[in-house]
Amino acid sequence: MSNEKFLSAQIKRRTLLQSMAAVGAAAGASTLGLNRAFAQEPEKPAEIIVRAWGGSWVDALKAGVSDSFTKATGIAVRHDLTEDNEIQPKVWAAVAQKRVPPIHINWDTTTNATKSALRGVTEDLSDLPNLKNTTELSKPVGLDGYPIVNTYGYVYVLAFRPEAFPNGAPKSWKDLLDPKLKGRIALYNDGIGFHFPAQVAGGGKLEDIPGNMQPAWDFITKIKAQQPLLGEDPDFTTWFQRGEIDAACTISTNAREAKKNGISIDWVVPEEGAKFDTDGLWIPKGLPENELYWAKQYINHALTKEAQQVWLDGLGLPGVVPGLTPPADLVGDPSYPTTDEDFKHLIRISTKVQVENESQWFAKFKEIMQG
Amino acid sequence: MRPSRAAYPMRWRVMDSLERIAGLLWPRSFSAGLPYLMLLPALLLVGVLVWGLVEIGDSSLRTLDTSTFLMSENYTLANYQRALNERFFTTVAGRSLMGSLIVTVITLVFAFPYSYLMVRTPSSALRKFLLVALFLPFFIGQVVRAYGWLIILGNQGMVNEALGLVGVSPIRLLYNYPAVLFGLVQYMLPFAVLMLAPAMTAIPAELESAASSLGANWISTFRHIVLPLSKPGLVGAGLVVFTLSLTDFAIPAILGGGSQDFIANAIYDQFFRTSDQGMGATLSLLLVAVGSILVGLVFMVFGAGTLAMGGDRK
Repeated sequence: MSNEKFLSAQIKRRTLLQSMAAVGAAAGASTLGLNRAFAQEPEKPAEIIVRAWGGSWVDALKAGVSDSFTKATGIAVRHDLTEDNEIQPKVWAAVAQKRVPPIHINWDTTTNATKSALRGVTEDLSDLPNLKNTTELSKPVGLDGYPIVNTYGYVYVLAFRPEAFPNGAPKSWKDLLDPKLKGRIALYNDGIGFHFPAQVAGGGKLEDIPGNMQPAWDFITKIKAQQPLLGEDPDFTTWFQRGEIDAACTISTNAREAKKNGISIDWVVPEEGAKFDTDGLWIPKGLPENELYWAKQYINHALTKEAQQVWLDGLGLPGVVPGLTPPADLVGDPSYPTTDEDFKHLIRISTKVQVENESQWFAKFKEIMQG
Repeated sequence: MRPSRAAYPMRWRVMDSLERIAGLLWPRSFSAGLPYLMLLPALLLVGVLVWGLVEIGDSSLRTLDTSTFLMSENYTLANYQRALNERFFTTVAGRSLMGSLIVTVITLVFAFPYSYLMVRTPSSALRKFLLVALFLPFFIGQVVRAYGWLIILGNQGMVNEALGLVGVSPIRLLYNYPAVLFGLVQYMLPFAVLMLAPAMTAIPAELESAASSLGANWISTFRHIVLPLSKPGLVGAGLVVFTLSLTDFAIPAILGGGSQDFIANAIYDQFFRTSDQGMGATLSLLLVAVGSILVGLVFMVFGAGTLAMGGDRK
């Protein structure tokens, strides 16, 4: 019997596929940190619902975390694109009424997630095995345990059209006050990302936040005279694309995505600094035990180096697992901080201070902008 | 003698049975209560709405504790004080009320000749065209229409491109108060025409012919015949356009560029952006109250009879 015949006799197609599936599942399970015996695992739900932001955000999550989770566990992942602000009251109501919440996992800003944690609607995630491999950035500041796991950081950069700045990139947030930019700049409609640099640009100190933010309000009042457009993430890309604006304070991911789409755009961290913040994942209370288990496994998987690398390559953001490789276009970019020196130019304010004062800051910003 | 089956057909027997069953369920002595029974579904619907308002009223009397993000246990009028004293809320309320008033006036001015032409034209082709043009926008949602205006009026939109052909540099046509009012008028026009057309149909054409034969010119006929007799339609259309404009969310959000909020946008922000359900509830109740008071005032001034709902016509 020749070797060839032996092989064809022993390794049939179905056997090969079964073996590959078993190896794949074992590898996936190992990646997930699922080292328990399968017999001990709770029943798998047909799907897990993860609330996510749309566009390139959900594409990156799917490519980096969801697809590999499904491959490893066989559990489908459905992405619910309800806005983070709109899912919040639904989850809060479900928990208050002791109903099963509408999602398994919320991909949320840390500030928003902290509100949910303070309200007591989040599950504790301290027992996730992969947490031990993460940096300090994954730990929510000012909260007991891990009601949220931060998964990456991001910077609110000053994005601009190079054609509108023929003398070189803007260096300061004060450059937005140039009369030629009147009606050509954009901010988030609640001012998020802009309050803290405005405090510095207005001549104030970060240590005075939240006690004295008058310098920020004075600077924002000057910006108001420039008639800025106010919008959400997708608006910035649209406005740049349609030539409505020349500069904006936005998350670097949006600027990078616009650039990928062929829009002439660049970004800087101005001399006053730029706000650095984090997003995270959390699980609402009220899930059945088995679904809670698998939701935790999803977040645990999101903390693996492999998942973080693909997910955050898509977003162009620094993760919480050491040793990630920055995307080629972001090496040395100030919006992708990796060293202590990088972080010196960024503004970080405690989540607790932000959560407690955010409503007042939003109201004050609106008062100025709507006046 | 056995009665013929044809003399008393089966379906009559079925009807008799049904009548007997109905008689058991609702005896003739209850007949006076039948109108009230018919009212029951409406009462249930209104009841649900009132229940919702009571819940909102309860929330409006509670403040948000930002250390726990729970509503306070005790009742307070703090939210109402904020709503009436903070400049942001008064600015947005003033803008909404003034905007709604302007939109109502402009919409009625445009809707009146449209309705008149649609009702009076002898050409059925023109009438059909006007009807199609009226109903077509209903098939396109408000948000889609607003985005359509972004494409038409944007810096690189059709209007600015046309202006560019004659050497005019791009003009900012969007993201300001006039853009919001323009979008609202365009959205409200079909509602106003639909409210005005039945009132105009009810005006006998012979009245205008009689006025004309007595020497009245077109302006006199319009002033003394058409306009007064159109009052029910004008009042109804005005009320609908005003209340819809006052509570609109999408047009100010999309065409206002974030700096031309109406009350509905402020309510959204309170519920969903700052998680302050108490303040959101307060603004919602105040909006309902202001809208209801204004509608009540219109009824007081013009009388409910102007809407052909009975009562004395004034």
